[in-house]
This record gives sequence, structure tokens and C-alpha cells, in this order.
Amino acid sequence: MNEIAEGLLRAVGLIITMNPEVMAITARSIMISFTATVIAALIAIPVGAVINFSEFRGKKTVINLIQTLYALPTVIVGLFVFLFISRAGPLGFLRLLFTPTAMIIGQTLLILPIMTGLTVSALSGVDQAIRDTLHSLGATKVQFLANVLKEARFAILAAVAVGFGRAISEVGAAILLGGNIRAASFWSSTRVLTTAISLETSVGNIELSLALGIILLLVALVVNLLVTTIQQR
Amino acid sequence: MPKKLGIAIAALLIAAVFMCGCTGTSATGETPKRTLRIATTTSLYDTGLLDHIRPMFEEKYNAEVLIVSAGTGKALEYGQRGDVDVLMVHDRAREDAFIDGGYGINRRVFAYNYFVIVGPDSDPAGIRGMQPEEAFTTIMEKGEQGVSGVVFVSRGDGSGTHSKEKAIWKSAGFDYAADVRGSGDWYVEAGKGMGETLAMASEKQAYTLSDIGTFLAYRGDLELVPLVDEGAILLNIYSAMQINPAKYPEINSTIARDWINFLISDVVQQEIASYGVTEYGRPLFFPSAGNWGKIGVTQAECEDPIT
Amino acid sequence: MIELQGIYKRFGEKDVLRDVNARIADGEIFALIGPSGSGKSSLLRLINLLDAPSAGRVLVDGVDIHADRSRELEMRRRMGMVFQKPAVFNTTVYENIAYGLRFRGVPERAIRETIRDVLSVIGLEGYGKRRAKTLSGGEMQRVALARAMVTDPDILLMDEPTANLDPVSTETIERLVHRINREFGTTIVLATHDMVQGQRLAERIAVMMDGTFSQVGTPREIFALPKDRDVARFVGIENIIEGVVESNDGGIAVIDASGVRVEAVTPLQTGVKVCLCIRPEDITLGYARKAGTSARNVFPGKIVAIRPLGPLTRLVIDCGFELVSLITWKAAEELGVQEGTEIVVSFKASAVHVVQDRT
Repeated sequence: MNEIAEGLLRAVGLIITMNPEVMAITARSIMISFTATVIAALIAIPVGAVINFSEFRGKKTVINLIQTLYALPTVIVGLFVFLFISRAGPLGFLRLLFTPTAMIIGQTLLILPIMTGLTVSALSGVDQAIRDTLHSLGATKVQFLANVLKEARFAILAAVAVGFGRAISEVGAAILLGGNIRAASFWSSTRVLTTAISLETSVGNIELSLALGIILLLVALVVNLLVTTIQQR
Repeated sequence: MPKKLGIAIAALLIAAVFMCGCTGTSATGETPKRTLRIATTTSLYDTGLLDHIRPMFEEKYNAEVLIVSAGTGKALEYGQRGDVDVLMVHDRAREDAFIDGGYGINRRVFAYNYFVIVGPDSDPAGIRGMQPEEAFTTIMEKGEQGVSGVVFVSRGDGSGTHSKEKAIWKSAGFDYAADVRGSGDWYVEAGKGMGETLAMASEKQAYTLSDIGTFLAYRGDLELVPLVDEGAILLNIYSAMQINPAKYPEINSTIARDWINFLISDVVQQEIASYGVTEYGRPLFFPSAGNWGKIGVTQAECEDPIT
Repeated sequence: MIELQGIYKRFGEKDVLRDVNARIADGEIFALIGPSGSGKSSLLRLINLLDAPSAGRVLVDGVDIHADRSRELEMRRRMGMVFQKPAVFNTTVYENIAYGLRFRGVPERAIRETIRDVLSVIGLEGYGKRRAKTLSGGEMQRVALARAMVTDPDILLMDEPTANLDPVSTETIERLVHRINREFGTTIVLATHDMVQGQRLAERIAVMMDGTFSQVGTPREIFALPKDRDVARFVGIENIIEGVVESNDGGIAVIDASGVRVEAVTPLQTGVKVCLCIRPEDITLGYARKAGTSARNVFPGKIVAIRPLGPLTRLVIDCGFELVSLITWKAAEELGVQEGTEIVVSFKASAVHVVQDRT
């Protein structure tokens, strides 16, 4: 009980005093996960659209597969990317391991399935009546696709938010690919909220862990509030 | 409304670029910093020693040091795949294998301390003051007899500490895989880091083997006491080595050598000797300098800079 | 001109359209009426190119609209469609109405003017900035109509546009339909299951039964002279009595209906099974045979049921077969009708519409 109270107090303290290290970790977390989310969105939305709008054999299977990958363990994604970008791996020459870029790659892959799947759901949630109306109003193929996407924008936005939430809260890939490095410069460091929490827990800094956890929740809360506000407008 | 969303996204992107810019500018105009990547074991990293001496090195050598901490097994794998320039671990047997495999060169011992067998103050197996092998044997016997409260929590994660535990079992005359592992409810594998394993042992009021550094860092939160802290086999030797540039030509071997020489330099050896005294009332490590005889390695391995 | 030539549409095992044929003239209001599920929507969707026929052709000004996929968009852009359930896009009223114009690349200024005008036509001035989803059903339907209208289509297709609306909204929509037709000469094809609406709006009506046109004609033809028993029932003729022609003397036939002999005007000959369609309002009630009446059919009967129906009273009289009659409340009071009252029903031979019973 005491620990929790102290953790809360400490979190508030760290936030109010704008503790530079905590702020840097938070900023890095947001930027890495935000970038991963943007990249994943740029892939997932078109791919989701293609899956939704085209009819092909095995479409159901593909959707099922994507939905299965929602449960992809973060460590597996991390390991997979690690094997590629580790120096002994095929992309080793890029020297990406232990960089924020590596974390972005890992998180992007991690959230791609869920964002693609939710995009498909979002698009198939657009009423047939809306589709008919668009056709009927004389939409070209491109106009049709664009406007179905537009109609599904809030649901897609929710999908993006879910992706961001999963990205910023995952630790397996981040620690394996980033290495939880605390370095002198901002972008050489790969310490983010989750890996810092993991470290601080293992060195017995329970209050700091809790504080970082609370900050993580606050970030998620702000993102969700933003999404809800947009959706309600 | 979508306009507003666009603005929000744009703002975030600009912020991101701005941050990149900020950090980027520091590098421009000067000689580019050299980067040193180190993989180390969690038990060493978690003591904070490396983050304590890191800035000194970075300033002196105009370098940036990136430290990745993982279990010894994982750290060795990073080394073997050429993902780091320097390995800092504490598992002589596997280090030897690593060097024999041609992956590592220029090993230097820079510090040591002792493992401790910790357990509840009540000490249900009665191991206090025993030799490590004897203590392990007793825990096993009492555990298998079902003496209440006798449980041993093992790291079970292939870490250096886990290796040490296995070495003790072997030295006590047991085959780890056949006699110990899975032999009964008394033996629990945590599969976690040292801190979490200690926390688990404390919750279960069980025995475990820990490096002294992590134990001291955690002691305030634990209901465990050191029961066995003497015995040659508990010796915990930390060494650093370069990844062989013959295997991975792109390795930053110059700065790797600088780092290792830095570790065995007098200044750092003194830092090591005093690190943790203010916080714990005793040092977490002993410097290797001058102690090579005591820990059974050659003087060259402790004191000769790499050339 | 729209020509429907032998159209079939098959979904799985079921033919939802069977051999549909019609010609719809430019500037005409053409109503498709028929019960739900009879295929009205399917036909409209074919005309709007949302579906393709399994067989047959839809010609617009002589061009088979389904023949050339590359001309599909061009053809579709000559039409507008209003759906039964108005689908509004999740944006403002203004943007909703602008969709078709945007698709056609109309300049923003022209869009602005058009929408300002149309908002006043549909009685939604000042609603431009409202979110369309917050509108009532009637308002949404008006927006949907405006959205189709502003593209200035040659053909406006409307699928049950008032099915879910209250009477006031229905009237508004109907007035708009008339206005669009008059002012722009738009050809309107309107599906409805409300035959009175069909009668109010349409110049010609096609009665759709089970996937095909049972009868196409003016409202008067449809209502006065339904072609068969199903049409008669659907257009609301309550008295449909089965019988057999007993004799026919120069077009005046005597028909045996459950033992009662009814005289009617028909060319059908002796022995033909028929249905007699008699409108309730053509039936006169009295307590005795009136002298001097020209009605050929006068039958004594007994009132078996009385039910108020809006401003009228609906009586069921058993005179060998059951007949429904509608009289005003006042008339009902004057007659003092009650269940069990003995009464005399009479109707003219010309009030009986005889159709052949093919069942």
C-alpha cells in the first residue's frame, strides 16, 4: 500500500518537476511509437483497403490469419527482427541493432496485423447503403474507395490508436532490439518507458517503476481522449 | 475536423524533427564521436557501476558508449553475432569457450566480488556458515526429505549466476540435469533476472544464489539474509573482452581496446574499489589490480594494457 | 426513354425478376407498386447499374446500359437514385449534398450556389452546417433527394422514398417529386408499396407481383380494371368473390357465386371461372328494395361485423357470400346498423369488374 502511494507521489513529483531524464524517456517513447504507428498506418490502411475491397479466394483465411497475428508475442517479433538486423544477419550491414530505428521497425511489424485487421473491420463496417449511394452518385473507382475510407475514418482512427497503444506498451521487442541503452545523446539512447520500467523493477526501484508506469498510462489516456474528442465532433 | 487532426499530426512530426535536430546539432562541427557498443550482464549493469564510469570515458575519448544489458547467455550471443564491440561478463567457463571459438580476444579481468547464498533468517535447512557445496547438499537433502520451508529458487535462465549455481552443484558431486533440476518441489526455476529472482525468493522465504551487488541493491525490500558468503567457488570474476575483429572487420576495435584499458587503469580501479561504499557501507566490487593471485588469474590478464 | 426488355435477375436459386418489360417515356412519372419483396428494388438497382441483369436489357435512349462497362459511369451519371433508407455520409448536410457534384468535378462556387438553392427547395435553409446524422428521418430523406437532384439527372430513381416517414414528411417529399418532374422534366421511376401514393404521383403504374409486371397502366386502369385477382387484392379491392359464368347474353353475364346469381358486364363466356371485384363504395345499403333503382344486383343479407375505419364505418354483410361495404358514420347512424341487422345490398352490374380466375 505504502509503495503504491509513494509511487504515485513520486510520479506526480517527476512530472511536475519535469525530471529531464524521465521527460527524455517519455518523449523518446512517444516519438518511437508514434513513428511506428504512422508507418504502420501507411501500410495497414492501404493493405486493409485492398483486402476489404477486393474479392479473392482465401480472403476469409487471410483475415483469420491477420486476426491470429493480433496475438503475436512481442518477443517473437523482436527476435525475428533481431535475426535480420543483427550484424550476422542479412541486414546486419545497416547496423540498426540497438537504435531507435530498430525499435520502430519492431513496433511497426508488431502492430501491423492489428491495424490491418481493424482497418478491414472498419471498412466492412461501412454500410452497404453508403457504398450503393456512392456508386449511385456517380463515383469513379478512386472516388468510391476514397469516400468509403473517409466514411470509416473514425473507426480507422480507433484502429490507429489501438496500434499506438500496443506499440508504446510493448517491452519485448523494445528491449531486444533497442537494448534499453542509456547514452549521452537523445537518439543514441534506446531507453523507453517500458524498458525503463523493466530495468527499474529489476534493480529494485519500485517507486520509479510505478511512476514511469503512471506516465505511460497518462500518455495512453491523452491519446484516447484525443481520439474520443475527434470522434465526437 | 480532419483538418484539426492533420494539424495535430503535423505538430507531432515537427516536434519529432525538432528533437532530432537538437540532438543532431551537437555532433556537427566537431570530430564525429566514436561509438562503443557493449553487451553486459544484468547483474553488473544493474549495480549502476557502468553508468557511473561511462561519462568519464566518453569525455576522455570523445566517444559515445552504448550499453546493452542482458543475461550472460544473451550477451554472449550479441557478441557472437558481432552486434557489440565489447563483452563484459562473469562466466569464466563460457568466456573460455567463446575465446576458443575465436569470437573474443584480449580478455582482461577488471573486478571481482563474491556470490552469496541468501535465505530466510530462520534458515530452516540450517546452512548458516557452511561451505557452499555443503550448504547446497544440505538444502537438497532437507528439500527432498520435505522439511517444511526448504526451497531453493534458481535463476534458471542461463545467466552467469545460473552457471555459477550449476558449478557449485557439480563441485558438490551432483549432475545438475539428472540430480537437481526437476528433482522435487524444493527446487524452483524462476527464469528471470536477479532482482526478480530475489524478490521471488523473499516472497517464498526460500534460498537462492545471488551476486552481492544485486543483493545489496535490493536488500531494503527483501526479507533475506546472507547465509553463506565464503568459499573459493563463490568467487565472481568480471572480465571484459573485445569481439574478434577477424570475425567482424567492422567492429570498432580501437575504441574497444581503449575501453578495456580504461577499465584496468588506476583511476577506474580506484573508482571500482570505492563504488557503493556511500550507499551500502561497503564496496560492491573489489578491483582486480593487485589481486590477481587471490582470484587465480595471471597478472597479465589483470594489469597489462592491450597493445 | 427507358426500355425494359425481358429482364431476368437471378439470385442463387431464386428469380427475383422474371421477364420484366416496359417502356418509360421521357418526363414521365412511372410508379412500380407491389408488395415488399416483389422485386421493385432489384429492378431499380438494375436501372441504376448497381446490379446487372441475368438476362434481358435495359435501354436508355436506345443504348443498352449494361453492355459497355466503359460507359457505365457516364450512364450512371445521367441518373440519380434515392434509397428507401437514406444513407447519409458522416459529415455536414452541405457536404452530403455536394457529393455528386464533387464527383463530377463541379467548381466549388457553382456547388455553393446550387446547394444554397436546393436547401431552400427542400425546406432546409440554414441546415448546411448541421451534421447529417443528427437529422430526422424525413430531413435525411430530403437531403438524399436533394443530393440526387443537384446533379440534374435525366432519370430519377426512387426506392420507397417515404416508406419510413410520417405523413407530413411524406407529403413534403411527394410535392418535391412533382416539382422536380414539372420543372426539370425529369423522368421519375418510383417504387412504392403504397398504392395510393402511386395513384397520387404517377402517370402510369406497373404492378409488380412476384418478380414480374402483372399489369401496366394508368392509375385509373389499374384501380378500376385490375387485370387479375392478385392485382385486385393489392390495389385494395376488398370484395373479391369467386364464381362461374352461368350465361352471357350480349356482354351481360350471370355469374353463380356461391349459389347467388350476380349480373355483371363481361365478355367472358359460360363456364369460365371468374373473380368478381366489387369496390365497397359501389355498394348501396337499404332496408327494402327501392323502387326505380337501376341496380341489377339486389340481395338480402345480414350484417355480421361492424368496424370503424377512419371517418368511415366498415360493414361486413353476409348475403350468400361476404361483402364489405363502407359507409359514413352518419349513414351508419341513420341506418341504425348493428350486428345481426337484416339489410338489403344492391350494386350495378357495371360496378362489378370481372376477371378470369386462373388459379
